[in-house]
Amino acid sequence: MIWHIAKRELYENLNSLRFGLTTLLLLALMLTNAVVHLREHPKRMQKYHDAVTASLNVLRARADNLYELVKRGPGKLYKKPSSLHFCADGGEAVLPNVVNGGGGNWSWADGLSSIWRLKYPSVTPNLDNIEPDVTKVDWAFIIGYVLSLVALLFTFDAISGERERGTLRLMLANAIPRHAVLFGKFFGALVSMLIPFTIAVLMNLLVLSTSRSVQLDADAWGRLGIIFGIALLYTCLFLALGLLVSARVQRSAVSLVILLLTWVTLVVFTPNTLASIASGFSSPMSADEFRKRVAQTEGALRMKYATYDENQPQKRRRELAAYVTEDAQQNERLNQERLSQQLAQIQEARSITRISPVAMVQNLFEAFAGTGFERHTQFLENVRSYARQFREFVTETDRHDAKSRHAVGVREGMSQKEVAMEAIPKFRDELSLNRDFNTTAMDMLLLALFFIVLMSGAYLAFVRVEI
Amino acid sequence: MFTTLIRRELLDNLMTFRFAAALFIMLLLVVANTAVLIKDYERRLADYNTAVKTHQEKLREKKNYMAGLAEAVVLDRPPNPLSIFNVGLDKRLGNQIWIPYDLVPTLWDAGMHGADNPLFNIFTSIDIVFIFEVVLSLMALIFAYDAIAGEHERGTLRLVLTNSIRRGHILLAKYLSAMICLLVPLVMSLLLALMLLTTSTAIALSADDFLRIGGIVLSSLAYLSVFYLIGMLISAATRRTSTALMLAMFVWAFLLLIYPNMILTVAETAAELPQDAQARRASAFNQIEQLWEEFDRQRLKFLRNDPVPGEEPDLGIHGLGAVMADFERYQTTLRYHYYTSIAFREVGPRGETLVPHAKNYFGFLTPLMIKTAEKTWPIRESALKDIYVQQAEADRMWLNLSPIGMYDAATQAWTGTDWESIQDFFEAVRQWRLTLVDYLLDTEVFASREWFLSDKEEADWSTLPPFSYQRSGVAINAKRALPHLFLLVLTNLVLFMAIFLVFVRSEV
Repeated sequence: MIWHIAKRELYENLNSLRFGLTTLLLLALMLTNAVVHLREHPKRMQKYHDAVTASLNVLRARADNLYELVKRGPGKLYKKPSSLHFCADGGEAVLPNVVNGGGGNWSWADGLSSIWRLKYPSVTPNLDNIEPDVTKVDWAFIIGYVLSLVALLFTFDAISGERERGTLRLMLANAIPRHAVLFGKFFGALVSMLIPFTIAVLMNLLVLSTSRSVQLDADAWGRLGIIFGIALLYTCLFLALGLLVSARVQRSAVSLVILLLTWVTLVVFTPNTLASIASGFSSPMSADEFRKRVAQTEGALRMKYATYDENQPQKRRRELAAYVTEDAQQNERLNQERLSQQLAQIQEARSITRISPVAMVQNLFEAFAGTGFERHTQFLENVRSYARQFREFVTETDRHDAKSRHAVGVREGMSQKEVAMEAIPKFRDELSLNRDFNTTAMDMLLLALFFIVLMSGAYLAFVRVEI
Repeated sequence: MFTTLIRRELLDNLMTFRFAAALFIMLLLVVANTAVLIKDYERRLADYNTAVKTHQEKLREKKNYMAGLAEAVVLDRPPNPLSIFNVGLDKRLGNQIWIPYDLVPTLWDAGMHGADNPLFNIFTSIDIVFIFEVVLSLMALIFAYDAIAGEHERGTLRLVLTNSIRRGHILLAKYLSAMICLLVPLVMSLLLALMLLTTSTAIALSADDFLRIGGIVLSSLAYLSVFYLIGMLISAATRRTSTALMLAMFVWAFLLLIYPNMILTVAETAAELPQDAQARRASAFNQIEQLWEEFDRQRLKFLRNDPVPGEEPDLGIHGLGAVMADFERYQTTLRYHYYTSIAFREVGPRGETLVPHAKNYFGFLTPLMIKTAEKTWPIRESALKDIYVQQAEADRMWLNLSPIGMYDAATQAWTGTDWESIQDFFEAVRQWRLTLVDYLLDTEVFASREWFLSDKEEADWSTLPPFSYQRSGVAINAKRALPHLFLLVLTNLVLFMAIFLVFVRSEV
């Protein structure tokens, strides 16, 4: 029986104005998205490869001497752009795409100099900022905003409309259980929305796959599948919301007003307002405070190593090595502390905005597309583990040289042997799907929970309502 | 008869659920967001005040002129209190700028003084005008979709027209009464926002600001009216309310969600010619570089020809303190200048003999630096304009083809957060720099001992010309807002005429 009603709904929808307009709208958006991605992505990849090559060349230039490696570090480490950038832009323009694993900031007249540490870029205002603010037309926008609105437009009169026309009473006069009516309506609307959406998605992917410059591997297709699934769940959520209101309200015009206002509040305003509110809960270290603390620790460290015994050059050398190492470590730790405070603030804001399903979907899309904030934290983790690896490599190489005095951080105290470029670990920025599943499981569960709650709400409302 | 019509329409509209819902949601959103926005503004103001204080302290810490002028003259842009209404570019663009006397500062040299979390920009910030943009347009369409189609369906339209009423009057009555109804949530929410504003001690609105807010109300009215007329046009053209509603919703989604984002994405992709921009940048950079190389040749020539040997940065004085001298080159923003700063607390007896020589050198060098900076400025200005501003202007023009773009531009101009008003600040900074340069050239402080040495006398920073920045007057805001407002009104007229034609020619 459910299928019968669903089929009737589907036929009714296929001939309607909203179906045609939805198809048109989604096709236009998805094609724009594909074309833009085709033009932008090769440029983005080119930029990344150029930067990485330049960075490797710099590394090669300092690779012949172990001390140079310790002093200047591995150079700039770049974030690899995702091939699924078209699914979610994730505010990539705002997030830095590089961490500098470069030299310190002081050197003494006798040749002692600070050694490398990770430096997170201080953000200067973006130079393109004078252009008008724009939301990138990515899948997250098309699905998060447009598809959710369309879902409401497909269901706002599903029940209230039939009631107005009197056909609901007619239908229920037959031996049809109410839940069958409700689920029939639900599946009918779902299928009639999925048709234009799937066509648009397929067109989008078709356009993308015509180009050889944008290649999607098996992993990316898997991710796309998951993203499509999330979009489906999200659409269902809004369909359920539409059915709930439609069942409760007597007139479709009222139902639409309620739904639109709910949509505006939930989708347009809640994420941003809540994020602004959440930003007040904690405040990360300010730039001034950071500078002050850096100066403080540097001064304290200098005092600690200021006095020494001139008759023991060996001991002094070890002390100096300890000094530069500790200096780099402390500086990096402070940098790290400030960064994690900033990240924690964002994390907090993001978990609060989860109240809005659109924020949830945005997060999920970003996680699976490998862009945005989640990806940024992953990149930073990759950078940190690479930094460990690099330091270990240096110590190991130095340890294997019998002639070395093993004072890493001082030129005379280190191995003077040549270092093979091949032996130096290189930075590789990778994404892993497993990890994404773990971090996003919560969001997906919440989304499913929302859907179940709304759907049972719609069921209860419809079962109890007088016709 | 006309008044009867208006009264009927008014009652019809006021007693509806949609009116109550519109009022409720507007008040809720505006109040909630205004509270958040006021907090945000207060924080930014506090940041600004701390920044000004630290910058003054840092300048006072410098004991000689050269170090202070080269490193520590930093001006700050105050946050705009009206950014609560439309934040525009106020938060996004740099708000602290370092002013070396040998470089004409631009927006692209500015940094951020805020203690904010830079990563927080991944969340977009909203303002009151944004709420109006979204909710008012939606409300207008919901009020309008059944204005004519509904009466048509119910058959009351035929009934009304049996009286001797002109069709134009019916349209006008419907329009006026709906606008009055829609004004209620607009004005009430604005009043509540203003009440909240007055509770904050950090925000002091002047009479000019109230005029500007008046301008915002006017623009909002025109914007609202555009959407009401769009809804009415759809309603007049389609005979059924359900069709009209669907069409209205899709038009809304198109105008608000899709057009602005899509057109900019397309425009940016289509117009972007990175090679062109690169070539333009490279050629301008080259020109600037040549001017500075010429400067360097003259500098070296001076050093070669003077009687004292020693061409290192500190001229062989070897005093106690910091020395720096180098070129700063940054091709992306065409930032290029000679950076020299000496801060000696003491000099030895041998250095003392060289002091007159150094005075002589800086007396020659500083005016040359200033002159070179003036020479490079027109090249840099026009190149930056071509590289950065042109694209942004083109984007704005595209946006101005939609009502939301016009409205946004008009309100930004009223609040003074638009591109031109932000430029005003940097223009003021440049003007101030000119007075600073004049002051330097007049007093010839760069040929004195205190320029680089602070052992006998220290620099007196109180004689520096003071900097003050006032937001441009309301007349200028109005002048900038009027073109956009005019476009909005024009759209209104066109739409009204279209409705009139459709309605007059339609069969009832």
